[in-house]
Amino acid sequence: MTRMDELNRRQWLGAMAALAATGTTRLSWAGSAGQQQGRVVFVILRGGLDGLFAVPATGDPAFAAARDRFTEQAGAPLPLDGTFGLHPALAQMHSLYRGGELLVVHATGLAYHQRSHFDAQQVLESGGEQPGQLRDGWLGRALAATRRSGLAMSTAVPLVLRGWSGVDTWAPSHLPSPSDDLLARLQRLYADDAALGHALSRAKGVQAEVAAAASAAGDDPASLSMAPGSGAEPRPGMGPAKAGAGDFVALCQAAGALMARPEGPQVVVLDVSGWDSHADQAAPNGALTRRLGELDQGLAALRAAMMAPGAEDAWQRTAVVVATEFGRTVEINGTRGTDHGTGGAAWVLGGRVQGGRVLADWPGLAPAQRFEGRDLHITLDIRSVLKGVLGPQLGLGDRVLGDQVFPGSAALKPTPLWRA
Amino acid sequence: MNVTLETALAAHRFGLGEPDLAVVGPDPRRWLLEQLGPADAPWGEGLLDSEQTLELLKQRSRRLAQLKKMRGQTQDEAVAQPLRDEAMAYRRQQRLRLEANLRSSLGTATRSARPWNERLVMFWANHFTVSEASGKLHGLAGAFEREAIRPHLGGRFKDMLRATTLHPAMLRYLDNQRSVGPQSLAAQHQPQARLGLNENLAREVLELHTLGAEVSRDPARPGGYTQADVTAFAQVLTGWTSVDDPRSDSPTRFEARRHQPGPKTVLGRVYPQGPQALDRVLEDLALHPATAQHLAHKLARHVLADEPPPALVARLRQAYLDSGGDLRALHGALVQAPEAWAAPQRKLKTPQEHALSCARLLGLDVRWLTPPADGGIGTMGQSLMRAPSPAGWPDGADDWLAPDGVWKRIEWTQRLAARFGDGMDARALATRALGPLLSENTRQQVERAADGTQALVLLMMSPEFQRR
Repeated sequence: MTRMDELNRRQWLGAMAALAATGTTRLSWAGSAGQQQGRVVFVILRGGLDGLFAVPATGDPAFAAARDRFTEQAGAPLPLDGTFGLHPALAQMHSLYRGGELLVVHATGLAYHQRSHFDAQQVLESGGEQPGQLRDGWLGRALAATRRSGLAMSTAVPLVLRGWSGVDTWAPSHLPSPSDDLLARLQRLYADDAALGHALSRAKGVQAEVAAAASAAGDDPASLSMAPGSGAEPRPGMGPAKAGAGDFVALCQAAGALMARPEGPQVVVLDVSGWDSHADQAAPNGALTRRLGELDQGLAALRAAMMAPGAEDAWQRTAVVVATEFGRTVEINGTRGTDHGTGGAAWVLGGRVQGGRVLADWPGLAPAQRFEGRDLHITLDIRSVLKGVLGPQLGLGDRVLGDQVFPGSAALKPTPLWRA
Repeated sequence: MNVTLETALAAHRFGLGEPDLAVVGPDPRRWLLEQLGPADAPWGEGLLDSEQTLELLKQRSRRLAQLKKMRGQTQDEAVAQPLRDEAMAYRRQQRLRLEANLRSSLGTATRSARPWNERLVMFWANHFTVSEASGKLHGLAGAFEREAIRPHLGGRFKDMLRATTLHPAMLRYLDNQRSVGPQSLAAQHQPQARLGLNENLAREVLELHTLGAEVSRDPARPGGYTQADVTAFAQVLTGWTSVDDPRSDSPTRFEARRHQPGPKTVLGRVYPQGPQALDRVLEDLALHPATAQHLAHKLARHVLADEPPPALVARLRQAYLDSGGDLRALHGALVQAPEAWAAPQRKLKTPQEHALSCARLLGLDVRWLTPPADGGIGTMGQSLMRAPSPAGWPDGADDWLAPDGVWKRIEWTQRLAARFGDGMDARALATRALGPLLSENTRQQVERAADGTQALVLLMMSPEFQRR
């Protein structure tokens, strides 16, 4: 097959439509050179994860006064270095850190310093400086520049992947799948509609990849393609079940199994909400602790899938970035939670990541050291970290990163992240 | 009756589909033009207006304040637990309000004899997006559609613009209730509170609701606005608030204490201090040529093609300006445009439009809206009244053609046909509902289907039913 990046969009769409017409639905996300190419996973934590809760700065002299109540309630942090620890629910991430595959980034955030979830997520995903300034996403633009494909583990295309037509989407279903017979008839129905035929063909291909990935991983194909609990009698009204515990882990497993395949997607986006913690934040069985546990298990499952036999060491070529839209107040509020703040934490994981360290130009937590007297200061623009991932993984130069992917960011140098 | 291509386009391109094209009658244009005017009265039960919704919110704020106080004083579970239960009950009520709103909005569109007007309700509600996803609305999005969109559909754009800008849902969604003039009395008296301007609403009114984003990006074009215009307009907007303060007695009010004093210059014109200035700014924005261009382009793109013919856009723009910004004239001009009857079906239906046209085709009643009240439309990627941004739901075919979106559409449609299609003859329905739009290929595939349910799925998933 011709290499994907030698085709322009029109040819690519035409080629896919031709595939649809012949009924061949084999997908090849990576192209022939796929096995050598870098892979990127972007995990968006929606709701503003408290970076000081997930990565407590226990060695900061002002930490104890502000956060002791949480530490007592949540349990002793897992030590990283003299200054930082990890929340006890992040045990698997802790062992990745010790193995040198997890880099912790702290006091990081956006150029936008207000505290609206919606605006901050818009900035995080668009890669701009102000909400609304850019209407498509940095990862979409990076894929457009390299003509590579991407997959969002969701029904619609999230903002971060917008701006490029070569993006597939997949999410578990709560509804019965169409039969092969119906699909064949639909394909004939779309004989004269290239776009619908193309979308159906891609969808069938993604479904087939999911099933193949699941069976390669030794799972029942249904376990990846069905949403948890969907084996039960369909709910009245055909509604979506609410995302429950375990969904994220299952999605990570599916993403890992897909990326482990030589022809798997090179770029995957996952998003998980529920990090807004205004009350009872540190409760040992509370929502935030459960979420952190899911994140921990999910990332471990992603890695395990990419290190499974037959995965061709996909983990070695992969970089995972986990980021949220902002951090939270340093002080605990009146309802034993925290309110929207600015600086927060992020993580970069992968086989080649120079991990086992905390990357932070630590501004300090004493009231006078805080942003507007209340929040952790941002001392590292998250775009530097993202540039540090995209540069080597997708083969993008500083100029493309500074002009196209993150317009107007030429002054921000990519953070060096890889082992020599 | 003579069912022409125009009959079918009237029902499917402009409307929400019909199970029998005979309803259109002999003159498709007239059928559409006679629909124009204020929208149908909303159907449904359990609907609260914005005043009632805010009243509940006020009570909730009062209890929250109590809760905070009690939490501060005691760790006693006997005190805390009832308050937690109460919070849970409030969330349950809030969900029920949202469901009543969704059921009403979808139910009204499903039953309406004026489907073109209902399409326009959806278009303008999306143009002036307020989203429950922000967490600031507490169920106000339904009231917004009923109070600020429906009554103004047959009138002037400036009135809809004023109604939407000052609706509590919009003031809350775009943060105007937190915007305070830096030199206002409120800011002067509470310097420690750091009260200041919030530009969100001003920017979106200029960028999304009136002049359009393209205008500000192009310095060569007249009508462009600058950051200084945004700031000055935000100052004009200071004082207009939706407060859940228990002492407040109106959903929207002007608080002079928060208003930035002095005259403001927006787009080269000077507006005086005080609440009256907002009306004048909105009137000037509504009649601005850039606004006419923005609205004309957006409406033509919505109804006709992702890249609408420039000549058509120019005529819509002129019709709008000539009528002094009359929406009926704008909507009518599209009906009268030859391009609207000539182009092939190119627009892909949104999940919302797909669900509504399926419901109309099958003649479904409220049963398909049993909880969750959106009938599961959210599974197709469009969670109604929860748009992802103030720009609303996207309007291009590409946006809805993501593989999983099409896959879920098939699954959703299959489920709908299996549940409610019992005894329906898809072959007869295809001919009656699509008329000349029905292609030979689709006719054959429906004809050859393995069973009645599959035939219905093929009809509803056919290109001529998916596109309009």
